[in-house]
Amino acid sequence: MQENRGLFTLDAAQAYLAAEPEMVTEKLSDRLFSVTDGQVRTLFLEGNKSVIAFDTFGTPGRARAYGKAIAAAVPGKPIGTVIYTHDHLDHSGFAADLAPDAEIIADELCAKVIKLRGAQGQLQPTRVLQGERHELSIDGVDLVLLNPGPTHGSGNLAAYFSDENTFFSSDTILANAKYGFMPDYHFCNFIRYMRGFLELDWDRFVPGRYEMTDRAGFERGCDFIEAVMNECQVAFVNFVPIWAYEPMKGYCMGQLGERFGDLEGFEGHIGQMAIRIVHHYLMGGWGLEDTAEPRVLMADLIEI
Amino acid sequence: MSEGEHNCAEHCGIFTIGGDLPIQGAYRDICYQPVRDNIWTASEGIYRTIFLEGNKGCIAFDTFGTPGTARAYQQAIGRVFPKKPIHTVVYSHEHLDHCGYAADLAPEAKIIAHDYSNQVILGRHSDGQLAAHETFADERSSYEIDGCYFELIYPGHTHGDGNIAAYFPQSKTVFMVDTVADGVGYTTLMDWHLTHYVPVMKRFLSLDWDLWVPGHFWPVTRPRFIQILDYWERMFDFGQEAIIQGVDPHDWEGLNKYTDEKLGPLYGSEFRYHEYAAMNLSRYMQEYLTGGWGIEGNLAPQLGPL
Repeated sequence: MQENRGLFTLDAAQAYLAAEPEMVTEKLSDRLFSVTDGQVRTLFLEGNKSVIAFDTFGTPGRARAYGKAIAAAVPGKPIGTVIYTHDHLDHSGFAADLAPDAEIIADELCAKVIKLRGAQGQLQPTRVLQGERHELSIDGVDLVLLNPGPTHGSGNLAAYFSDENTFFSSDTILANAKYGFMPDYHFCNFIRYMRGFLELDWDRFVPGRYEMTDRAGFERGCDFIEAVMNECQVAFVNFVPIWAYEPMKGYCMGQLGERFGDLEGFEGHIGQMAIRIVHHYLMGGWGLEDTAEPRVLMADLIEI
Repeated sequence: MSEGEHNCAEHCGIFTIGGDLPIQGAYRDICYQPVRDNIWTASEGIYRTIFLEGNKGCIAFDTFGTPGTARAYQQAIGRVFPKKPIHTVVYSHEHLDHCGYAADLAPEAKIIAHDYSNQVILGRHSDGQLAAHETFADERSSYEIDGCYFELIYPGHTHGDGNIAAYFPQSKTVFMVDTVADGVGYTTLMDWHLTHYVPVMKRFLSLDWDLWVPGHFWPVTRPRFIQILDYWERMFDFGQEAIIQGVDPHDWEGLNKYTDEKLGPLYGSEFRYHEYAAMNLSRYMQEYLTGGWGIEGNLAPQLGPL
């Protein structure tokens, strides 16, 4: 059987696409579950008659493994709804393999990007949301979806579950320092938007990768990224060679090691983060979405 | 601002830290030399741009990336053409490291840019980056300014927003920034739109030119331009293969091990290979892991001759 291939063009990708990893599921409340393949993490909820699943994981095999994990945790209830946190294939690329007949909810910009991309296996949303805040009731489950503006990817929706005192935001803040090169982050308003979520009442944070944390861990994540942003500027204006990995890593480790060196992955990732973030200041942010009053070039030309 | 107001006397771009900003005012020597006909090129060693001698004044492309380098660029042009002030500035694209400081280069000059660039510049409000007075949105626009003829070409989405080439058909020369330059790509290919890059850049082969002046380092020939594009094109397969073989795009040591073993025999002698091949690979891997980025990264590339 040929797997849905996303954007892969090499036939050799079939085994990678088909592999079904072990999923670890954790019950967070009577109706709320978190699941991870060891790297990507997401949530699903038990409704009255169906399951509401956030995202799909990043290959057909992972999507199937996710479906099996849901079926094991909530037997007898089909996945009726999939909510895309954002457009990236590693999170929402394979609804065709998870729940091809489900209603799919996403932000408008996310839907536009998915339409343009045409990746095999990534299904087009059937219900598109516009705006910053959406209070939804789906199959007996109440939840709030929030998109304050560009943070990571396109149309990134966070989810707030007041009954569970839980907040979920994918590929924004992590409970560790394993951010790598911070692909498709939009830095201009990132910290402001992230701190805005602290106005809500929650004490458990579920990130889109790795381990969960609490409110203090989320705040520390904001502090960490903000500190890297500040130190990158200081390095830049004081002639640290910003184009070179080792000097930027060494500078930021020296400045931030005492405060944040205990975060898992700090030493392996701080150089990558620094290389990416310092170029925000060198180049000026990437695109109109990375300005103080963000918009998206050409978005109005795309119809869904 | 995180630490109080700037006390920097220079334009400060988008820096948010307080205090002095030493790099902004630092002087850099600018080297300059004639290219062909009325075209000159200028560089501080890493960045490169061009300027044109007109009948009464000069046309400067870009500004360099700090107030200090913008002033040094102005002084360099003034040394070559002391009686010919800069009356026109053309922005190659909107990034501050190339076009951030017209306020320090030539604050009274007329500025020309592509409409996409100018939209970003207007939204950015970066201190020292002036908005354009004239924009264009077509694929090709011809200009005859003060005796200088050139065409500005927007071939499609390549890097940044509204990144244009300047084509001088009479001199068989093209100037384009942050696309094809010698060696491997810069870091993680910051703000590149990979879906478009190779097919869009190949469109330039429909034009008659034999000298390509990039925004960094040194000019390249047409055959070298084709070789460099071949590297970019083959990286799509290397990016996929690295994922299939289990390389983590955020594992710095793993990325370097992979590029040393798999790409090194082919490209190890390329300029900056050992600095950036692993970062290039990481970015290509993301194209398959995440998909293209944003609207620009997912539109169908423009194809066909220019």
